[in-house]
Amino acid sequence: MKMLFTRPAALAAVTLGSCLLAGTAMAAPTCEDGAIQVGSVSTITGPVDFSDGPKGAKAVFDQINEAGGISGCKIEYTMADDKADPQVAAQAARDLIDNKNVVALAGGASLLDCAVNAATYKRNGVLSVQGVGVDPMCFNAPSVSPVNVGPYTLTTAMLDYADKELKDEKLCAFFIILGGTQEAYAAAVARWEKMSGKKIHLIDMTLPLQGDLTPYLIKARDNGCDAVLTNQVEPGVVQMINTADAQKIEGIDWLFLASGYTEGVAKALPNTKQPVYLGTEWEPYTEANEANGDWMKTMDKAGLPKTAFSQGGYLAAKVLADTIASIEGPVTRESVSAKLMEGKAMKYPIAGSEYVFGDAAKHAPMQATKVMKLNAGKWEPISKDWYVLPAAE
Amino acid sequence: MNSLLTSAVAGLSAGGAYAILGVCAIFTYRLVAVVNFTGAAIGATGTFVMVALYESGVPLALAVPVGIVAGALAALAVGLVMATWFSGAAASTKAAVTAALLVGIIAVGLRLTGGQHPHNFPDLIPGSAFRLAGVEVTWAAVVTIAISVLFTFITEQFLARTQTGLELRALSQRPMAAELIGIRVKLLALSVWAVMGAVTAFALMVIAPQRAPDFMSLSLLVVPALAAALIGAFASFRAALAGGMAIGIIEGLASGLDTFSQYRGAIPFLVILAVLMWSQRGARFDEAR
Amino acid sequence: MKHASLKAALRTALTLGILAVLIYAFLPKYWIFLVTAIFITGIALQSLGLVTGRTGMISLCQMSFAGVGAWVTGYLNVAEAPGGLILWIVLGGLAAVPVGVVIGLPALRLRGINLAIVTLGFAAAFDTVLATITFPGQTAFIQVVRPSWFESDGGYFALVMIVYVAIAVALEFVNRSRLGASWLAVRHSERAAAAHGVSVPMAKLSAFAISAFISGVSGGLLAGYLGTLVAENFNMMQSLALFAVASMVGAHFTLGAVAGGAMITLFPELLRRLGLPQDIGNVFFAVGAVQAMSTGETISETWVRLGSKLASRFRRKPAAVAEPEVKTARPLGTPAVHQPGVALEVSGLTVRYGNVLALDKVSLKVPSRTVVGLIGPNGAGKSTTVDAIAGFLPRYEGSVSLNGGPLEGLLATERARLGVRRTWQTTRIAPELTVGDYIRLAAPGIRPAEIEAVLEWFDCPVPEAAIASVDAGSRRLIDVAGVVAARPPVLLLDEPAAGQSYAEALKLGDRIASIPEVFGSAVLLIEHDMDLVRKACSDITVFDFGRVIANGAPQTVLSSPIVQKAYMGVELEEQVA
Repeated sequence: MKMLFTRPAALAAVTLGSCLLAGTAMAAPTCEDGAIQVGSVSTITGPVDFSDGPKGAKAVFDQINEAGGISGCKIEYTMADDKADPQVAAQAARDLIDNKNVVALAGGASLLDCAVNAATYKRNGVLSVQGVGVDPMCFNAPSVSPVNVGPYTLTTAMLDYADKELKDEKLCAFFIILGGTQEAYAAAVARWEKMSGKKIHLIDMTLPLQGDLTPYLIKARDNGCDAVLTNQVEPGVVQMINTADAQKIEGIDWLFLASGYTEGVAKALPNTKQPVYLGTEWEPYTEANEANGDWMKTMDKAGLPKTAFSQGGYLAAKVLADTIASIEGPVTRESVSAKLMEGKAMKYPIAGSEYVFGDAAKHAPMQATKVMKLNAGKWEPISKDWYVLPAAE
Repeated sequence: MNSLLTSAVAGLSAGGAYAILGVCAIFTYRLVAVVNFTGAAIGATGTFVMVALYESGVPLALAVPVGIVAGALAALAVGLVMATWFSGAAASTKAAVTAALLVGIIAVGLRLTGGQHPHNFPDLIPGSAFRLAGVEVTWAAVVTIAISVLFTFITEQFLARTQTGLELRALSQRPMAAELIGIRVKLLALSVWAVMGAVTAFALMVIAPQRAPDFMSLSLLVVPALAAALIGAFASFRAALAGGMAIGIIEGLASGLDTFSQYRGAIPFLVILAVLMWSQRGARFDEAR
Repeated sequence: MKHASLKAALRTALTLGILAVLIYAFLPKYWIFLVTAIFITGIALQSLGLVTGRTGMISLCQMSFAGVGAWVTGYLNVAEAPGGLILWIVLGGLAAVPVGVVIGLPALRLRGINLAIVTLGFAAAFDTVLATITFPGQTAFIQVVRPSWFESDGGYFALVMIVYVAIAVALEFVNRSRLGASWLAVRHSERAAAAHGVSVPMAKLSAFAISAFISGVSGGLLAGYLGTLVAENFNMMQSLALFAVASMVGAHFTLGAVAGGAMITLFPELLRRLGLPQDIGNVFFAVGAVQAMSTGETISETWVRLGSKLASRFRRKPAAVAEPEVKTARPLGTPAVHQPGVALEVSGLTVRYGNVLALDKVSLKVPSRTVVGLIGPNGAGKSTTVDAIAGFLPRYEGSVSLNGGPLEGLLATERARLGVRRTWQTTRIAPELTVGDYIRLAAPGIRPAEIEAVLEWFDCPVPEAAIASVDAGSRRLIDVAGVVAARPPVLLLDEPAAGQSYAEALKLGDRIASIPEVFGSAVLLIEHDMDLVRKACSDITVFDFGRVIANGAPQTVLSSPIVQKAYMGVELEEQVA
C-alpha cells in the first residue's frame, strides 16, 4: 500500500469544498426554547491545563453570536472542568446532559472524558465532536468523533514517515503507557507494520512518566536504533533530548507526537543538535499562513493565545456550527445527532482530512499530519504538504 | 551481562537523587521526629522558584540562591505548622499531617507551575564527568552523589561532636525535657526544617533537568526517598545513602530486563518490603506504648 | 450485649432507609446520580475508617484495593460470568482481601509510620501496574451490565443504598464484638491488647482484610455506576485525598463516612456552580485534615458532641439515669477451679538493660489461690518482673513457669491465653470503648449478667458507661475487674491502688484478698500502700536493687530491720515528695 500526498491542487479543492458546504446550508434551523445549549468536558485543572481547547470553541461561538447567531439562534456554551478525575468528569457530563440540556458536545480537550463518558453520551443520545481526543476511547466509540488526528494515528504516521522519508532502517518505539493505552499503541504500531510490510525493530511499552530516562536511551543506542519514536508529553520531550545530549548519543532521529508540539519545548531546547521531528494534528499553529487565517482572526478577536489546542476547539466548534446550520427545523439533541450521523464529509483548510461523524462504531476521520523539525529553538515545517495515511480499515 | 552493567550505571543518577532525599528524610526524623511526606514537594517549591526567576531573565548566580532560600522558607512554613500544633503529637499523627499537607501542596504547586507545562530547566552542572560501561555519568549525577555523601558525613559529625547536635538529639527524643533544660526548642526545630528545605531544593535543582520536571513528579520522589530512609531504619544516614543508591541501581537494572521493566515502578515498594521484613523481624511491640 | 448492637444497627438501618426514601422521592435524576456517588465514596471511606480510624494503621493505598475490586468486576462482566453484578461485586471485594492481607503482613511488624510508607509505596506500584491494563471491555465498548432491577439511576441508587446499609449494619455488629474492641485496643496500646490475650497480628490482619473487602466492594459498585473505569479512578492521589478527607471527618463513624462522601462528591459540584477552579478541593481537604488533626477531634465527633449538648439541653434532665433499683448482690458464679500447688514460679530471673542489671537471680513463688505481695522501693525491679513473667521482655535469663509448665518461648499473647494476666501501672484502656466492651475484651465469652456482677463487686460504673466518661480512679478498678473477670490461674496486679483515696484503697484491699476465694485465681500484687498489702497478702516478697531481700508472712517481713531500712526510709521520702 502506498500513502498519498495531497498536492496544492487538492488544497484548492479543500477551500472549494468548504465554500460548497456553506452554500448548501440554505434550510434554516429554528430554536423555540431560547439559546442552543452546547458544552464540553475538559481537563482544566489538575496535572494538565487543556483549557485552550474549549476556549477556542467558545471564541467561535461568541463570534457567531455576535454576528446574530445561526439563523438567529444564539449558542450558549458551557465549559466544564474534570480535574483529570474520572468522578468529576462523570459528574460534569451528567450536569451538561441532565441540567444544561445540551444538544451536543464540541471542543472538549480532556485526558479522560471519552473513556469515562462515551457510554453516557451514547445512552443519552448525545454526540461529542471532541476538540482534542487523547484517550483511546475517543477513537473507539460510536458517540465520539474527534477533530484531531490523535496519538495513535500519529504513531502510525510518524513511523511511516521515518521509514519512507527519513529512510531510517531500524525503527524503535518507546511508549509511556497511561490509563490503559497499551492496546491502542500496540494497534497503531501493528497498523504500520501491516501497511509497510516491515517489522518494528524494538518496541518498549515501559517508559516511565517520571524517572530517569537514561537506561532507555542507552537501550535504544545499544540496539542500534536509527529512529526512536515516543509518545512523551511536553516536559518528557525536553527531558529525553537533554538526556540524549548528556549521554552524547548521535545518529538517532527522534520522533514525537503532537503532544510535544509547543513553543515551550522548542524554547527549552535552543542548542540541541539532535534531529527532532514531530507530527501535528492540524496546520502547524506556529505558521501564520492562509490555512490558519480564519482561526488566527478568531483567536485575535477573542484575545486568546494561539496554541494547537485552540485549533482543536476552533475546528470542533466550526464543525458543530456548520452542522446546526444545515438542520431544517428545531435544533434539538435528536436533530443534531441525526445530522451528524448522516456522515457528510466536511472540509476545512486547517485540517488535512475531511471530517466525518457518521454512524460507524468508531471514528478516526483525521488521517493527515504535517511533520515539523526542531531548528535552533523553533519548530519549522518540513514540507507544505500534508502527510496522509490511507484510511484505516 | 555487559548490558546489565550498563543499565546499572544508568541508574546511578536516580540513585543519587533518592539517596540525598532519603538522607534528608532521616535528618528531619531524627531531629524533629517527623516522617515528612512533603520533603520532595518542599524541594520542588524551591526549584520552581529558581526556574521562574531564570525564565524571567534573572541570572543563575542569583536565581539559585533565591530558590534555595525559597525552599528553606517553604520548609519553615511546614515546620511552623508542625511545631505549633503538633509538637506533642504521636509520630503517626505527624506523618498523617504531612501526608495530608502533600495533597494540598501538590494541588497548589500544579496550579502555580501550570501543570505539566514544560519549563526551561537550566543545567546547573552541565556535561558528563566520565564514561563507564558505555554510559556517560553526568556531573549532575556525580554532584548529587557527592552532596549526599557530604551531607551524610557532616550531619553525622555535627550530631556526634557539637553541643548543638547534642541538644538537637535531646530535642527529638524528649521535647518537653529539652525545653526544661533551657534549649530553645522551637527555634532549633525550625532551623532543622530550614536546612532540610535548602538542601532538598538544591538537590532537586541539580537533578530536575534529568527528570520529568513537573511539580507532581518531583513531589512524588518522596516515595523512593522514604523507601531509602526506611532502609536506614530512620536512624542510619549511611544505610539510607546506600539504600537510595541501591534502589536507583536496581531500577536501572530492571529497565534493562524486558520482563521486569514494565513493573519497575513497583521496585521501591518491593525493596522496602523485603528490607523491612528482614530488619524488623525481631521487634514486636511499639516502643512507646 | 447483642441487644445494644441490634439496637444501634436498627437505628443506623432505619435512618439510612428513611434518608434513601426521601432522596428517591424528592430529588431530581441528576441529584440522585450525585448522591449515589456520595454513598459509593462513603463505602470506601468506611473501609479506611476501619483500618486507620479504628485500628490506627495509616493506609495510603485504599483506592488500590478498590481498583482490584473494580477490575475483577470488569473481567467478570466481560466474561459474562453467571450471577450478575451483585455477585461480581462481592467476588471483586473478596479478590481484594488477599491483597489487603499481603499489605497487612508488614503491619504485623511495622509500626504506624513505616506502614504509611509501605502503603504509599504500594499505591505507587499499583499505579504503574494498573496503568498498563485497560479496563476490561473498554476497547470493545462493553459497559458493566447492571441487573435489570437496578438499571436506572434511581434503581442503581437503591442498590448502592442497600449495600451501604448492609455494610454499615455489619460494621455496627463487628465494632461491638470482641474483634472490634480488639482493634481499638491495638490502636490504643498493642501491649495492653496482647496482655488480654488478643493476638495483635490477627487483629491487624483482620482489619486489613475486612477493610480491603469493603474497599473492593466500593470499587465494584463504582464499575457498575460508571459502566467503565480508568486507572485515574484509583491512583495514588485519589488514595491520598481519601486519606485527608477521612482524617478530617472521622471515617470510622457512619455519619463521618457519609459526610466525607458528600464532601468529595459535592465539592466539585459546588466549585463548578461557583465557577471556581476544581483544584481548590484538594487544598480544602488538606487544610481541613490538618485542622482536624490539630484539635484531635474529627468533624463527626464535633457534631456528635454539639448534638448531644443540644439534646441534653432540650431534655432538661441530666442523662445520669438514676438507678434506684436495690442493690441486690448479683451472683458472681462459682470460682474457677485451677490446678492446686504452686501456680506461678519464678526462679533465677535475671534481666539486663545494656550494662545495668535490673534483676539479679530473683526467685519467687505464688501458690494457687493465694495473694502474694511484691514490694520494694521505686526502681527495685518490680514492674520488670511483671514484664518478664507476662512475656513483654525480649530476653531474660532464668525461668518462669505456670502450674509447673515453663513459659519460655511463648509470646505475651500466648501467656495471657494460658492464664497469666496482668494490669498496668498506668491504665491503658481505649477510651472509645464502653465499660462492658472492655470487660468482654478482657474476659472472652463472659455472660452479660456476670459482667454486671463483677463490676458491681468492684464498685465500677455500669457496663453501658463510656470509658471516656469514667474518672481515672474508676478506670484502674475497671482494669482490675477486667482481668479478674477472666478468672485466670494467675493475676499480676501492678499498683492497682495508685490514685485511689485511702478508704478506697482499703476497700480494694478487701476485694483483692478475697479474689482467690471468689474467683479462684492466684494474685501477685505490687503495691506501695502498706495497709493494703497487709490486708490482702498472705505472703510478701521484698525487692531492693533487683534482688530479693526478704520473704515470708507480712508481719514478720515488714518488721524485719533490713526491710525497714531499705524500704521504709524511701517510703517516707516518697510521701514527702
